[in-house]
Amino acid sequence: MPSAAILEVRGLTKRFGGLTAVSSLGFEVREGEILGMIGPNGAGKSTTFNLIAGTYAATQGEVRFAGEQILGLPPHRIAARGVMRTFQHNRPFGGMPVIDNVLVGAHTRFASGLWAVVGGRALREETQRRKRAAELIEFVGLGELPHADVATLSFGQGRLLEIARALAGEPRLLLFDEPAAGLTLAECERLAGIIRGIAARGIAVLLIEHDMHFLLPLAQRVAVLNFGVKIADGLPEQIRNHPAVLEAYLGSHAAA
Amino acid sequence: MSSLLRWLGAALLLAGAAFLLSDYHNDVYRKLLLWVTLALSYNFLFGICGQIAFSHFAFYGIGAYSVVIFLFQFHLPFPLAILLGIALCILFALAVAIPSARLEGFYLALATLALAQLFIVVLNEGGAVTGGPGGLANYKLPEFLGTRIRGPWYTAVIVLLLLGTLAVLWRLDRSWFGRACRAVRDNPEVAAAMGVDVARTKVTAFTLTSALAGIAGMVYAFVDNTVNPPIFGLDNAFLLLFMVIVGGAGRHAGAIIGAALLFLVPFVLSPLIGHHHVLVFGVLVVAAILLQPRGLVGLYDAIRRHP
Amino acid sequence: MQDFLELTVSAAASGCIYGLIALAYLLMIRPTGIINFAVGEWAMVGAFGGYLLLSKFEWPYPLGMAAVLVFMLVIGWLTERIAVRPLVERGAPLLAPILALLGMLVVFREAISVSFAPDPHPVPYALGIQRQSFFIIAVTSVVFIGVWLFFERTIAGKSFEAVAIHRRAAALMGINLSRVTALSFAAGAGAAGLAGLLVSPNVSAHYLMGVPLAIQGFTALVIGGVGRVEGALLGGLLLAFAEQLTVRYAPIPAGYAQGVPLLLLMLFLLLRPTGLLRAK
Ligand SMILES: Nc1ncnc2c1ncn2[C@@H]1O[C@H](COP(=O)(O)OP(=O)(O)OP(=O)(O)O)[C@@H](O)[C@H]1O
Ligand SMILES: [Mg+2]
Repeated sequence: MPSAAILEVRGLTKRFGGLTAVSSLGFEVREGEILGMIGPNGAGKSTTFNLIAGTYAATQGEVRFAGEQILGLPPHRIAARGVMRTFQHNRPFGGMPVIDNVLVGAHTRFASGLWAVVGGRALREETQRRKRAAELIEFVGLGELPHADVATLSFGQGRLLEIARALAGEPRLLLFDEPAAGLTLAECERLAGIIRGIAARGIAVLLIEHDMHFLLPLAQRVAVLNFGVKIADGLPEQIRNHPAVLEAYLGSHAAA
Repeated sequence: MSSLLRWLGAALLLAGAAFLLSDYHNDVYRKLLLWVTLALSYNFLFGICGQIAFSHFAFYGIGAYSVVIFLFQFHLPFPLAILLGIALCILFALAVAIPSARLEGFYLALATLALAQLFIVVLNEGGAVTGGPGGLANYKLPEFLGTRIRGPWYTAVIVLLLLGTLAVLWRLDRSWFGRACRAVRDNPEVAAAMGVDVARTKVTAFTLTSALAGIAGMVYAFVDNTVNPPIFGLDNAFLLLFMVIVGGAGRHAGAIIGAALLFLVPFVLSPLIGHHHVLVFGVLVVAAILLQPRGLVGLYDAIRRHP
Repeated sequence: MQDFLELTVSAAASGCIYGLIALAYLLMIRPTGIINFAVGEWAMVGAFGGYLLLSKFEWPYPLGMAAVLVFMLVIGWLTERIAVRPLVERGAPLLAPILALLGMLVVFREAISVSFAPDPHPVPYALGIQRQSFFIIAVTSVVFIGVWLFFERTIAGKSFEAVAIHRRAAALMGINLSRVTALSFAAGAGAAGLAGLLVSPNVSAHYLMGVPLAIQGFTALVIGGVGRVEGALLGGLLLAFAEQLTVRYAPIPAGYAQGVPLLLLMLFLLLRPTGLLRAK
């Protein structure tokens, strides 16, 4: 029996001036499910993420997370409820080593207050969290690098750091924005394993990806966006041969 | 345990030095310790949290003036005067920081510049309460538990202030709060997506460091036993910024080195070039930003890595 | 009535000075996002230029004024070269040039204080003491009309605006970013130097005159808003009238009246940070 939807999106719309980047979008994601989202450049995928995460204010619509409306909440509140994300372009905090970057992801999970910090009573929690962060770094495969300067990471390692940082927030929903873009084939395979592992922990995953070869074997269901509109959704094998998808994709690729 | 011993050792060493110094050198030493204390808290605000504010020295002044006024104009008891002084700093800090944190850009810089100038106007025009342009003088540290701390013992109090400030900042820096501050400095949008309340982090950092500056000011009030407007002007606010930049913003060691260097340089240079050492500071700051943005500690790191 | 007229004219003249400084800020902030607190020192340098050429060497006023203006353009260009461009090219955060310019502020001030005696240096009036206010108003009007026409009517002005709106997009459109930045600094220094030259007959050139002017200038800017050129002048005039009216009529000690512009600045920052005029 499929579990209940943790994320429900209805009628979501975002206009930038005259441009409608996302138009009456609706979908849902269940716990432990990987929902793929594809679409050509400029289809509105990243904008959808920014709307769910609260970075952009929606023009219209409804986003329910665990049954509660989260649209209109500031981004840090949404993160605190368990919605974490990675960015399409690596955006590490340059002034900190890898492990501190991951610990920022865990920010909302710290229980000790400022007085406990000043009084030294927060040290135990700090040590525990640090250990957890090291485990996450290990889990995504950056095991030897917890103290490395982020500037020294390769592009692929930077992608993995994005994931570890998002995981540190103990999310119930993880938003991945093109995690495989720019990775080598071997790195892609490892990444697929990591994402499967995350879903297996019961975390809902919303996965944007251009590369169908990467996405289709991974996702349980796929939604297709074009010009801000959902033009198809269904099982991966249905999407593969869907005429509207072929047209949107091949059309745009031919034009590009 | 060993870390506690290290702090204790530092306290004994720094305070012990005061007992070996002449009166004049004790005075210089006290001011050095106070500058280092201020630079440490300013570094947390500017170097770690990435906020430019010109009010740090004004808060130092608010602390100094308020404790003197509460004690000797209003004749309040000593502990109450201190608590009220801190409360006053927190109140002013919140009043400036809360509206500024909503806004992007350099609003905090502008608002704090206005606050710092306004503070000087109020000091000059405050009549009998602030003593006007001449300030307040001829008061003494009240007796506490029947004794009055003075001489090198008061220097020891300043050492405690410095180490206490450093300990608080050290702990903050190595906690979720310090990381949130750095995240806000490096990239506020990503910080928010990771769950950091950006506005709240900025306001907290500003208020905390301003309160620390105020406490340092209270200690300062009994170093010269006089407070007057020129001490708390903009020039010193700039100097504080320059200390942190030259030493290396974002690192405690940088703040300490920068403060010590820029405080001591005039003693060396004054016989040679009069009060024009400020020109040297200006050149030093521009050079640091252009050539070595991590300051002297960054330079030291680079040399150690590639000797 | 006579009294009120005089007050109006003198307030309008100081408003023009503030407006010019605000304009200097605005010319640099719009395309680069950099707030340059050294504009006050630029005004001070302009005033000392006036002292040297007009008082000491007794050049004719128009020639001296033109020479000061040219000198300021060079100073602005040099400042950009030294303290801004290397940082922008390195991709340093915006904070870096702002701090470097704060360092330059000190360098300018101390360089002047090393070179001249610390007492005030007289600068002559352009057309005599009675007409100085009108001269200030006339020159400022010409500057603002010129700048306004530049932004509204010329291609070069439009490219400044394009950079102001989006640096990267402007670069893609083939606009030379570093030239725009250099020009904006040169023009900013020109406006600030002019303000210094115009105000100096009344206050004399002094090496500490910069910071107060810098603060009044950005107060004017905050009141008017960075969005539009007219805002700088409007903000300057409002600030000057608020100052002079409180000094003249408000029942508070004169010293406290100095605080009025600062309070005004705080109020605007807190309540209406976009200023009175919004960008079009
Ligand atoms: N902040 C913004 N302001 C104005 N327009 C925007 C903004 N963000 C996105 N857009 C526009 O919205 C549309 C959708 O962009 P979005 O980034 O969501 O596309 P995407 O599907 O993620 O594309 P890609 O595959 O290239 O990442 C594009 O036309 C884009 O130019
Ligand atoms: Mg995208």
